[in-house]
Amino acid sequence: MDLENTKAQMRKGILEYCILSVLSRNACYASDIIKELKEAEVIVVEGTLYPLLTRQKNAGLLRYRWEESQQGPPRKYYELTDEGRTHLADLDKSWKQLVESVNQIRTR
Amino acid sequence: MKITVSINLGGYSFDIDEDAYAELKRYLRNLELHFAGEESSSEILSDIETRMAELFRTKITSYKQVINIEDVRQAMSIMGTPEDISDNDGPSAGEKFSSPGYHRMYRDTEHRIIGGVCSGMGAYWNIDPLIVRIIFVVLALGGGIGVLVYLILYIVLPEAKTTAQKIEMKGNPVNIHNIKDSVKKEFDSVRKNMKL
Repeated sequence: MDLENTKAQMRKGILEYCILSVLSRNACYASDIIKELKEAEVIVVEGTLYPLLTRQKNAGLLRYRWEESQQGPPRKYYELTDEGRTHLADLDKSWKQLVESVNQIRTR
Repeated sequence: MKITVSINLGGYSFDIDEDAYAELKRYLRNLELHFAGEESSSEILSDIETRMAELFRTKITSYKQVINIEDVRQAMSIMGTPEDISDNDGPSAGEKFSSPGYHRMYRDTEHRIIGGVCSGMGAYWNIDPLIVRIIFVVLALGGGIGVLVYLILYIVLPEAKTTAQKIEMKGNPVNIHNIKDSVKKEFDSVRKNMKL
């Protein structure tokens, strides 16, 4: 089995959760989200972020507004919607349960 | 000295070497194909372009005014290839572009003994070509009909030359994913042979 592939699959599964988590603290630009996710090593290549961001926006979990920038064209400024916050709370619970389950199996 | 191209990437203007431009164009085109099945594909691509423009802007200084091929390759490795980005929840464009699994019989000249007829038939039915060969030999011994059938098939069945044909021979859908796998396998087997 391809180890790298399994690891990548694990990361991809939690990426959506992490995006919502980052935005729950404050609204920010895509590049800020990337920075945090890279620091936490959840994301390896930046391209993975964009289809997810768009999908979450289309699902109503987040929204963006255009922020003017002195150095160039306007940039998207993302924030969580109320639906996004509910969704995140749900995922928080799921995550805790998942961690408990896996630890139970690992440490038996 | 090189020719440069002037591009608009994500709303920013860049001067970029001609060869770097060709590579960037190819990369963006691959991403476009990859996301073609997705809703909002143009929005995703636009976001990616914007991000790449941000990366390129950090490369431009008063000493370096042109984006070169190293910059493009570095940006590509940061953003990731379509395979790296590929996710399984969204409809994969690779699947969308596959021919609907035409299952055709070809002559498999790569694995042939004489003309690849038995290999090709084995590939089509997913059985060991040896079984097909035995059947032919038996038919040939029993009055020569096997030879005639073989010759007819040799003339009628086309040779599987392209990678796409080789994939179709086995009945798999021809998409970017499978083509990539096939080419990779061939490359690996050539490499193994060269290692002696």
